[in-house]
Amino acid sequence: MRRAEHAWRLLRGLSWPMFGITLLLSALGVLFVYSACYASVEGTMRALYRRQLLWAGVGLAAYLGFAAFDYRRLRRLTWWIYAGSLLLLVLVLLIGTEISGARRWLMVFGIGLQPSELAKLAVVLALARKLSRPGESLGGFGALAGVLALVLAPMILIIQQPDLGTAMVFLPAAFVMMFAAGVPLRSLLVLLAAGSCAVGVFLGSLFLPARLGVSEEGQARIISAVGLRPYHRDRIEAFFNPERDPLNAGWNKMQSEIAVGSGGVWGKGYLKGTQNILGFLPRKVAPTDFIYSVIAEETGFVGSTVVLVLFGGLLVLGARTACAARDKMGRLVCAGITATLFVHVFVNIAMTVGIMPITGLPLPLLSYGGTFMVVTMASLGIIQSVHIRSHMYPHGF
Amino acid sequence: MALSDTRESELLRVKVTAGVMLLALGVLAAVLWRVQVARAPDYRSSLYRQSVRRVRLPAIRGAIRDRYGRMLADNRPSYCIAVYVEELRRPGRIERTIDAVEDVIRSVSGIVNLPREVDRDEIERHIRMRRPLPLLIWKDIGPAALARWCESDVHLAGVDIYVEPVRAYPHGALASHVLGYVGRAEPANGEAGGAYHYYLPEMEGKYGVEKTYNAVLAGEAGGRLLRVDASGFKHGEIGEREPAAGRDLFLTLDVRIQRLLEETLGDIRGAAVVLDPRNGDVLALASRPDFDPSDFSPAIAPDAWRRLTTDPGQPFFNRAITGTYAPGSTFKPVVSLAALENDRAGGDTVFGCPGYFEVGGVRFHCWRRSGHGKLAMREALEQSCNAYFCQLGLQCGYERIYHMAEALGLGRETGIDLPSEAAGLLPNSAWKERYRGDSWRAGDTCNASIGQGALAFTPVQMAMFAATLANGGTVYRPRVRLVPGRAGDVCNVMHWAPETLAVVRGGMRDVVMAPHGTGRRAYVEGVVMAGKTGTAEHGPREARRKYGWMILFAPYEAPRFAVAMVVEDAVSGGTTVAPRLHALMEGIFGDESGPVQEGRG
Repeated sequence: MRRAEHAWRLLRGLSWPMFGITLLLSALGVLFVYSACYASVEGTMRALYRRQLLWAGVGLAAYLGFAAFDYRRLRRLTWWIYAGSLLLLVLVLLIGTEISGARRWLMVFGIGLQPSELAKLAVVLALARKLSRPGESLGGFGALAGVLALVLAPMILIIQQPDLGTAMVFLPAAFVMMFAAGVPLRSLLVLLAAGSCAVGVFLGSLFLPARLGVSEEGQARIISAVGLRPYHRDRIEAFFNPERDPLNAGWNKMQSEIAVGSGGVWGKGYLKGTQNILGFLPRKVAPTDFIYSVIAEETGFVGSTVVLVLFGGLLVLGARTACAARDKMGRLVCAGITATLFVHVFVNIAMTVGIMPITGLPLPLLSYGGTFMVVTMASLGIIQSVHIRSHMYPHGF
Repeated sequence: MALSDTRESELLRVKVTAGVMLLALGVLAAVLWRVQVARAPDYRSSLYRQSVRRVRLPAIRGAIRDRYGRMLADNRPSYCIAVYVEELRRPGRIERTIDAVEDVIRSVSGIVNLPREVDRDEIERHIRMRRPLPLLIWKDIGPAALARWCESDVHLAGVDIYVEPVRAYPHGALASHVLGYVGRAEPANGEAGGAYHYYLPEMEGKYGVEKTYNAVLAGEAGGRLLRVDASGFKHGEIGEREPAAGRDLFLTLDVRIQRLLEETLGDIRGAAVVLDPRNGDVLALASRPDFDPSDFSPAIAPDAWRRLTTDPGQPFFNRAITGTYAPGSTFKPVVSLAALENDRAGGDTVFGCPGYFEVGGVRFHCWRRSGHGKLAMREALEQSCNAYFCQLGLQCGYERIYHMAEALGLGRETGIDLPSEAAGLLPNSAWKERYRGDSWRAGDTCNASIGQGALAFTPVQMAMFAATLANGGTVYRPRVRLVPGRAGDVCNVMHWAPETLAVVRGGMRDVVMAPHGTGRRAYVEGVVMAGKTGTAEHGPREARRKYGWMILFAPYEAPRFAVAMVVEDAVSGGTTVAPRLHALMEGIFGDESGPVQEGRG
């Protein structure tokens, strides 16, 4: 009896628009993963949409599970989750499966697990816990150092894989959380300045040695000394100069732009994207990093704007839930998850339309990818949980 | 209160963050607008450029027919077995696709029972260079192999029959020097700025009317638009412009006369031309030895080509229009015409023949060593007396002879519509001074008057001369393309006096019709003909060889046929060529029940 009543209260508190958008986007994901792969020669690629459907199902279960689970009880689990994901990140460096020069996957019972995706959620939870601790002085150097340590530990491990794109996601998410937590603007500006200096060092190490006439070997040594790889330089160069190397790094960018542009206002129709069918949009990345190209080519400006609006809706609802949260932890978790979602959406789409270098960040709910799908759904489930709790206890806990 | 303040400012910060995020999404929407709406046409055209290949489709070549529509050159279907590579492609390295193609070739080889013709290199070259096109693994398979393929119930993906038109000449070598042959056309580089990515094999005329009228026969190539995928394999067809088939070409040739002419020529080296003197139509034109143009399609085998090009008889040398020969006594009517028309002599002008004529210490022998005694012009033509014509030539003067020959079109291209015609040579004093460094002497005039010396004409020129004598003085340009209702192309009109014509034509009539005429062996019962034989010596004195000539026209009163024939290494015109013209004319007039009937009247 009590259980039924509890369930009813949970359902009444559910944000249906948020749930609806999540379902709609993941359904679109399955549809367009199918479209991106149905013309492929390889059977496993053609069957990819079924696995995406399966992952969406698992993700939905995680979503509902986390929505029902009271997020406040996560507080106690936070450090366990954080430590666990760090452990996984270390494990992946040691026993991960190497695919095209990068160790990003842990094979568990034949299923590829991406610990870096899990780490995104773990860091958000850890930061939320740390920043929401009552009496924590947020402006102090010690607190900032602690926050930075929490963020940098997984980042450095991920850079070792190497996966610079994923590692970079942590910085804006952490920044937004610190901003939302009320860290004084002065401290934030200092952080920004430090970050800019770091970016300067990175870019300098990538491009300066070549300008100064350092040998190829020396350049490679300098680049790896700051934790980067020469292909990062190639990608950045390809972004600014795609015609220089149209067959390698520039190819994806060029073909993605052609796919998006040739879609026009109304698109070519579902399953009719020639860039994708003809394989100009490389088949390996069409269902993953470049799923938005497929959508934009087939549904045109109208369809791609609809997807943008759906994501925008999710962001607004996430922010509203943050504001409505009854406690700081809930607010910060919502802000952090929303910021992570935004970074993925923005960077992925910006890369697809050619205004940012290719970083290999997937598009949440749409790109193919099991771990990312489940983690995204679980994160959105946590926002839902915050929403439900704010309605169950409208006057505070 | 303070707590609430902090909370309010924190909420404001969340709202600011959300606003910044929405603003960023708005920027993305604006970029999308620029890419998908404002600049969409640019991206569409780059999409088109990178995924579409244009293939040139050759047109079906027009047929060649004789004047009565009988087929001389046509197209036959050539059955090939084609592999559609895009259906056999394997992911990964190109070698895997090549292996798949090789497997298919092995399987097909077992079915059609043919040894494989395409090696691995060729497959690889095809996949690298002509990926969207079918690869022909066997070309022009015979009916047996075709039947085996059609009857086998093995279904192999990516293999199919591919039909190509191939040039066929139903009469074999007949009229090969007129028809010519076709060969693989080189892709036209300049055409529409290299508008095509791929060219299919296309035939173009390399020789004969196949070459001169290539534009008529070839038609207009079409094109096909193929969509290819990122690896360049064919993905589908977008569109096609049908090629416009070439037009049929009608020739002035008459297959029946052509065949008769080639039969009468036999295996000798020589050439002959039969003209219609009323308009210059080439009724038959033959040069021996010849070749079979069918050997050239779809492609000539290397050893066959070597055999043809190294043959000492030069089968590709069209002696009828490119071979130049001293005309010998067939030139004598020109001397008569020059003398008569310029009033330097009359029909009754008499010269004596002791068997030779001497000028400047050189003795010109008459072919009859015993001499002809005194004779007048008509008899001199009949008997082809060298002594008479030496004296007539001197009396006339070479300048006049030269102008007459020039007016008749001798020593100059006739302009016949066949490739590589030779001009021959009609010498004069300027020529001799330039090339021999000597002035024109009386001996040269004598030599020229009997058709010797540097004179060299082509058989078609001599046929044109015979036609001019036959029709009474109109020089028609010989032509091989039949244009219905078109009058002959007049090159020149000689306003010869009737008395002149009577003497020259009469003398030539006697050549054939008189009991002791030099061309008596050409005589055909019931047909009045006129002709002139000739035997020209050439080569060094110790190894003299003779060209045997005869020109002829018939019927005498209303001529419809004018012939010139030359035989290399003849005994003489009268003994080697005249019997051949007899056979020809007997064939022509003996069985006129055929389509030639129409020409009468």
